[in-house]
Amino acid sequence: MSVWNPENVVDVAESIGITSLNRDVIDHLARDVEFRMSQVLEEALKFMRHAKRTTLTTQDISQALRLLEVEPLYGYESTRPLRFGEASIGPGQPLFYVEDEEVDFEKLINAPLPKVPREISFTAHWLAVEGVQPSIPQNPTQADQRNQELSAKGPGANSTLAAVSGNDNVSVKPLVKHVLSKELQLYFERICSAILDDSNDEYRAAAFASLRTDPGLHQLIPYFVQFVADKVTHHLRSLFILTQTLLENPSLYLAPYVPSIVPSVLTCLIGKHLGSPSLDGTTTHFALRDYSASLLSSIARKYGPSSSTLKPRIARSCLKHFLDSHKPLGTHYGAVLGLTMIAGADGVRELILPNLKAYDAVLQEAVRDDARAEEAGYVIDAIKKALDMLGEDHAELRGALGEVLASRMD
Amino acid sequence: MAQQPPPSRTASVGPPSAGGMNAPATTPGGGQGQNSNQNLNQIVLEYLSKKGYSRTEAMLRKESANTDANGQPIPSRVEDTGGKMYSSTFNLVQNWIESSLDIYKPELKRLLWPIFVHSFLNLIGDFYPRDGQEFFTTFREPFEAEHEDDVRALAPIHEPEHLQQNNIAQLYRNNKYRLTMSHMAYTSLVMFLEQHEREGGMVVLHIVQNFLDVRTVDRQTAGGQKGLQRLLAERNGEQDAPAEDEGIPGHNPGSANMDRNAPTVLSKLSLGPMPMEADLMEDVKAELQDHDSTHPPAGAQNTLVDEFEQRIKREPMDDVPSRDLLPFPPSTARDVAMEVQKVKENRDRFRIEGRTGGVGPGISVTMFTFHNTFDSINCIEFSGDNSLVAAGTAESYIRVWSLDNRALTSPTDPPSYQYSSSRRLVGHSGPVYALSFSPSVAIPEPATNGHSSNTTSPDSQPRYLLSSSADTTIRLWSLDTWTNLVVYRAHQSPVWDVRFCPHGHYFVSSSADRTARLWSTPQIAPLRLFVGHDSDVETVAWHPNGAYIFTASGGGDRTVRMWDIVRGSAVRMFTGHTGNITALACSPSGHVIASADDRGEIILWSLPTGRLIKRMRGHGRGGIWSLDWSVESSVLVSGGADGTVRVWDVQENKESQQGKVVGEGGAGTKIDGTGGAVGGAAVAKSKAKKDVVVSPDQISAFPTKKSPVYKVRFTQMNLVMAAGAYLP
Repeated sequence: MSVWNPENVVDVAESIGITSLNRDVIDHLARDVEFRMSQVLEEALKFMRHAKRTTLTTQDISQALRLLEVEPLYGYESTRPLRFGEASIGPGQPLFYVEDEEVDFEKLINAPLPKVPREISFTAHWLAVEGVQPSIPQNPTQADQRNQELSAKGPGANSTLAAVSGNDNVSVKPLVKHVLSKELQLYFERICSAILDDSNDEYRAAAFASLRTDPGLHQLIPYFVQFVADKVTHHLRSLFILTQTLLENPSLYLAPYVPSIVPSVLTCLIGKHLGSPSLDGTTTHFALRDYSASLLSSIARKYGPSSSTLKPRIARSCLKHFLDSHKPLGTHYGAVLGLTMIAGADGVRELILPNLKAYDAVLQEAVRDDARAEEAGYVIDAIKKALDMLGEDHAELRGALGEVLASRMD
Repeated sequence: MAQQPPPSRTASVGPPSAGGMNAPATTPGGGQGQNSNQNLNQIVLEYLSKKGYSRTEAMLRKESANTDANGQPIPSRVEDTGGKMYSSTFNLVQNWIESSLDIYKPELKRLLWPIFVHSFLNLIGDFYPRDGQEFFTTFREPFEAEHEDDVRALAPIHEPEHLQQNNIAQLYRNNKYRLTMSHMAYTSLVMFLEQHEREGGMVVLHIVQNFLDVRTVDRQTAGGQKGLQRLLAERNGEQDAPAEDEGIPGHNPGSANMDRNAPTVLSKLSLGPMPMEADLMEDVKAELQDHDSTHPPAGAQNTLVDEFEQRIKREPMDDVPSRDLLPFPPSTARDVAMEVQKVKENRDRFRIEGRTGGVGPGISVTMFTFHNTFDSINCIEFSGDNSLVAAGTAESYIRVWSLDNRALTSPTDPPSYQYSSSRRLVGHSGPVYALSFSPSVAIPEPATNGHSSNTTSPDSQPRYLLSSSADTTIRLWSLDTWTNLVVYRAHQSPVWDVRFCPHGHYFVSSSADRTARLWSTPQIAPLRLFVGHDSDVETVAWHPNGAYIFTASGGGDRTVRMWDIVRGSAVRMFTGHTGNITALACSPSGHVIASADDRGEIILWSLPTGRLIKRMRGHGRGGIWSLDWSVESSVLVSGGADGTVRVWDVQENKESQQGKVVGEGGAGTKIDGTGGAVGGAAVAKSKAKKDVVVSPDQISAFPTKKSPVYKVRFTQMNLVMAAGAYLP
């Protein structure tokens, strides 16, 4: 009747020399053992709960025994769940035991030290931005969360809420658009058409002016970011100004959207083909690259402190393109510019200088080729500029050093 | 295990034969005796009829009809069946309640649980271990949903001495289970029991009289709670939760007075914010004026002085706690800076104003995920200025990190010390279960040459950290020198929780020894002892004005209690949770307390009226580890073991509740019913699997990647910071 097999009581009794036990005594003891075990387990569960775990460990049992003023069991301490082996001692009589590995001392002593476990560390990410969960690798995908109840169902449930948090099911599917007011939608459409309209400069200027100052545009930011990403390859210049105006607007908080803005800007900086050479001339794209470099540096300045990975990421992609000799010179030009702007003098010293020698070959070849000589000139200018910066930095450093030395002399 | 003799066995060593005595009656008297008995009757009857004693014969026939074939008397009273009587009685009552009128059924159903428990305990107490187990396994099923923990705790009880040592059994035996039902329901129950006196009515009546405290109320006057509408709603299986005054503590809803004849009035509370010290107020005002003149407010903003004046003016003077009763050390320059910053943040904050147009506010959440923990982190805590995060581990040490990657330095470091952005605090000799930073507010570094930086000035950092551990001690750590300053010993069992007072100086701790204690940092002995919980005090929280604390317990108690720290007495008590309470948080407005349990339920309680505001479900099982309120008290956020951060609408849902009842009573149900019929089966199936129903009060839920959320916190600017450990 009890979970605890009374035969075990008999076994233990025999092991300490008591051979004849009344059946009632055995039953009574078995029931009592079961009760004590459950007492220990109840206490152990408390320790598990307060450690905010959902698995019971041997330490919890030890703590529980200590709380009940019983000597804990030694030798089972493990942070991992114990592994149990199963052996059969007869039909329907499984015997469980803790699997204990045999360790050869000789081997253990001569073996190299085990790796130190990795340190506890933490990372931060946006779990939700204004009620919406961004789909970034740190957050689970829709497929991962299928077995969780996330949104309210049944009478009284607000379907809009579900839609806003992106958990709408198939039966109720209000468009997210509907949280935008009619006025904002209209505004968005007007602005977009104004920006894409190449013929009317006045109209466009008015749109930019409005974007630069209007404080109530927060809800539209994701739409604008998406707009820029979609159209960036077609209407370079005006979209750039759009990004810039958004950045300049003091009442908008763009930090969460920076990761989605940066790729568009980077495309303009180091893209292979920008604009059409036949229409705009072969070298106009350099101006665009200049412009995007300055935009990028302003983003990095503004949001670098709040995102520790922003600058290294940009620098890394610039460097990659710089080192790839198969890329056109325009890309190299953009990469050098980007590196100079983002990483400053230190970056030039660490990232560009060591690679200049190798790059020299590429440049030589380009200079000799008449078709590319002009472009090569631009690249050389950019590198020169970077080196100038280095020189200034040196001068500053030398100046500072001189001051220190001078103060020492006094 | 087996070598360890359980403690205090003396009581359990009874004469072994005593067990056998009452074992189910194996019929003595074999087949032979039976035959002779039958024959004897036959012979006597023949003799009587031959002699013509017809009346004597009739009498004998009548009387012998009551014996069975074996000649044993057939028991007519259920009491005579020994251990079986409780089973048949319980069956009887259960069937009767099932067939009773729908309007009484919900009330009468509440009666089954205490009758079940006491029937079982009586069986064990009367030494019917076999019958007890049988009874328990037969009838436990309907209670497993609501009383899961109690059922689990009662299951292993087999012997009378276990009753003495089992917590839950003691609770039920030594207290009267209070139950409120309407007058008519109670009368019909008693009438039924008296009619079926012989079939077991007496047994149940006995339990009701000895172990229950049934209060009868008039349904009309009781209104809401016991009203017809509520009953109709319950009939649809809508919810089956204990009433606020049901259960062991036996108290009027909200009241902490446990006297049986306690009046239904509640003690008065001072829930307003703590008034500011006069000196401090002057200093703060001067500082604000100074600030206003150097940084004139932009656009439509108020000046800081105005903002401050407004806040003081809003405070009603009648319900604020007195400052004289709760002494604090004199304020310092740091306090002034903190107050100034609070006023500034109050003006510049992104406000969450509750529902606007039916859609809840959008909340931003930053998640801090801890890696390589191997499930060894027990608790995580953020400092008030968002510069530090601390984690208490199962390996007895505490680790503090700087959130902005700043080196944590100490004046006592040797010159060769390699600075890093984290520090270990070593001292405890058991797992660390709770941490609490002394209060602090982020004070931004003064702007240098027009370039405002994101960093905070170093003196806004908290200076102390408290930790509590399974080694029964609480330790105070200095965050300047990163050393242990004080060890507070008084608890006799592991200390589950510790919290700094919102104004610093005092702190409160709670322990497995069923007490909560109030301390002040300079003294090593507790100032107050809060005794009353019937099981471990699992968690504590402060009222924002620092004059009250809240404690909550698990086990068989499951109450939230509110204590006045000056008088040391309980002023409110809230019953209604069905699981162990794992988190508490009082709203910054000071009028609502939110409590969450490990069955995934959050309950909001109103402090002035002492009543339940609403229950909110949505979290999966396994514990809601942390709760916090937005600064305007308009939104509650929770994080738990199911790896989600959930945002809740705390406003009372008057209109939707009303609408629902009307819908169910009228024709609306039908439309709803047929519409949902197709999906209904699927929903029911999935419900059975997940048994989580998300209540409509949830604004949004954000799942993490396999990271249980240990801590959620609203910053002063209404950004949510959440922390959890990634457990692949």
